[in-house]
Amino acid sequence: MSEKELIQQLRQGNEPAFRWLVENYRNRVFSTVLNILQDSKEAEDAAQETFIQVFESVSSFKEESSLSTWIYRIATRKALDKIRRRKTRQKLHKLLPWWMPDEKRSTDENFQHPGIVAENKEKAAVLFKAIESLPEKQKLAFTLIKVQGMNYEEACEIMQQNVKAVESLISRAKVNLQKQLEDYYKTIK
Amino acid sequence: MKKNTTPLVDEHLQTIDGLQEVATDEFFYTRLKARMERNKNEQGWSFPLKPVWVIGTLVLLLTVNGFILSQQVTTKKVKTTETSSLQKFAESYDQTISSAY
Repeated sequence: MSEKELIQQLRQGNEPAFRWLVENYRNRVFSTVLNILQDSKEAEDAAQETFIQVFESVSSFKEESSLSTWIYRIATRKALDKIRRRKTRQKLHKLLPWWMPDEKRSTDENFQHPGIVAENKEKAAVLFKAIESLPEKQKLAFTLIKVQGMNYEEACEIMQQNVKAVESLISRAKVNLQKQLEDYYKTIK
Repeated sequence: MKKNTTPLVDEHLQTIDGLQEVATDEFFYTRLKARMERNKNEQGWSFPLKPVWVIGTLVLLLTVNGFILSQQVTTKKVKTTETSSLQKFAESYDQTISSAY
């Protein structure tokens, strides 16, 4: 089935076409949002929300980008929304601890990525912890390119930024991460 | 040759080289469909319990309360001023009620 045919069928509300799309993209979408959110429960939620939005808004998809880019764009937005909401909840918890209970994340404080081989888990966890504190755009660019292994073109299309802007985000992210890692190793010495 | 300014980052990045794609389980679609059905059924009216709505409602109630209170204080002040000017008027014509004893 070509992409055009798939989009056409999705617009008609064809369930087998939607199922085919979900089955083909679920792992890629889940991996992307998991890398950004670093929490499996929230990642499952964001992945589901992504497909719901794809189903509901495919009729307004203008086909200016490929279907996969559009899906990734929705997925990254959903993940960033979740991070914003998480930050708001944390602020509210600080302000009104009796009303907003402290949220328990489904993973340990140090995120252990399930796709990393055992001997690298410890160092990778330190890196993920540092990535978590990056500003939103730097975090997204770094995660898509350096963690997920996407090429610049694809990441630029998803982020709707030009290559220079994304390169600059990556280089600033690396400088920030270097500082954080240096600080981390100083504190544990 | 350009000096590497982020050696620690590069060293850590090597640990996630060849990061494997994480798979969701095979029941992902079933859960997704169940959620979509639930959303369809819940599309009716529901009380918004999101913190932003609760805080917004609380602030609105407090503002309305404050406005009503300030209005009441102003009305009382006007009433007192009216009473005292009537009294002054009565006094100036010696019309105040006084006891015969």
